[in-house]
Amino acid sequence: MINPMDLTGKSILVTGASSGIGRAAAVKLSRLGAKVILTARDQERLGITLSQLNGEGHAYYSYDLKRIEGIEEFLSKIVADNGILNGFVHSAGVSEMKPLKMSKFNSLHDLMLTNFYSFAELIRCISKKSSSADGSSFIGVSSVSSIKGNKSQSAYSASKSAMDGIIRPIAKELSARRIRINTVLFGMIGTEMFNEFLKKGGDISAWKDQYMGIGDPEDAANVIAFLLSDASKLITGTGLIADCGYLS
Amino acid sequence: MTNGEKIDLLEEMLELKSGTISENTALAEISVWDSMAALSLIALCDEHFGIQLTGEDIVKFRTVKDILDIMVG
Ligand SMILES: NC(=O)c1ccc[n+]([C@@H]2O[C@H](COP(=O)([O-])OP(=O)(O)OC[C@H]3O[C@@H](n4cnc5c(N)ncnc54)[C@H](OP(=O)(O)O)[C@@H]3O)[C@@H](O)[C@H]2O)c1
Repeated sequence: MINPMDLTGKSILVTGASSGIGRAAAVKLSRLGAKVILTARDQERLGITLSQLNGEGHAYYSYDLKRIEGIEEFLSKIVADNGILNGFVHSAGVSEMKPLKMSKFNSLHDLMLTNFYSFAELIRCISKKSSSADGSSFIGVSSVSSIKGNKSQSAYSASKSAMDGIIRPIAKELSARRIRINTVLFGMIGTEMFNEFLKKGGDISAWKDQYMGIGDPEDAANVIAFLLSDASKLITGTGLIADCGYLS
Repeated sequence: MTNGEKIDLLEEMLELKSGTISENTALAEISVWDSMAALSLIALCDEHFGIQLTGEDIVKFRTVKDILDIMVG
């Protein structure tokens, strides 16, 4: 039997791997045969993810992605230690709820550092021949918030629209090396971020349109695995919607 | 920060004329006190006092004084 989502022999870097979608994706990728390189800030939680992975040869690195200037060197170290990459998943991200009048430049910039600028810088560095193999697949974890707004999420929505926007020209630039790049626009997924949303007084009724229910992180991981695998060879430069019906 | 200064911050946040609210004003009496105002308060307390308020904290507040009391640091 063939498995079209097989990732045997592929090295894949996952940011945001200490929690939620990133952790679920890392576990899934390892089960599909990939060697997974995990990163996030929290070493302890990275260690927990590592202990859940299938197979050998995985590694983790603690790094604060807000330190944009250090990303190039950070990535060089990862490649020196693990060899060149075949895939990249940017699941690191923060959400915040701030009404417009409280969304000052500083807080907007701070959120953009994690959600967008680090993604752009990582892609810039990873797409070099010395860092990734031809035929690689890169994925940004975006959100339905990129195209549908909810009150108090202007910064978050902007950061996700920026991710969805940057991949289109990049997809064309990288096509010569058969490298694909996409985003996934997830609806609400039951992770820490979702719990935080509720705790901070988030309005769950805004999500009643998600009529297939709150998404399971493991199902989100399957979408990511699909886009990393050769099963999605026809898909590049696009934002794939995985929203349990929310936008329909 | 004095209570007067804290009230100034709240009035600015709620876009109310200076002197509209006092310590004893009930939140229910403030016409613009709603869920968006609550989110603004979370952001304000984070920015000025480094306090992480939750939605659960906020539903317990009855008067302006309840808010002033947590605005410390
Ligand atoms: N949950 C949802 O409903 C949902 C829906 C649509 C899209 N998304 C997106 O999915 C992605 C993952 O979200 P999640 O739900 O899995 O959230 P989560 O459980 O809160 O995980 C967020 C991850 O980002 C990492 N991170 C945050 N700031 C970082 C920084 N400065 N440097 C390095 N890593 C950082 C965190 O690790 P450390 O704290 O250890 O650094 C953590 O691993 C985010 O981009 C989010 O916007 C989520």
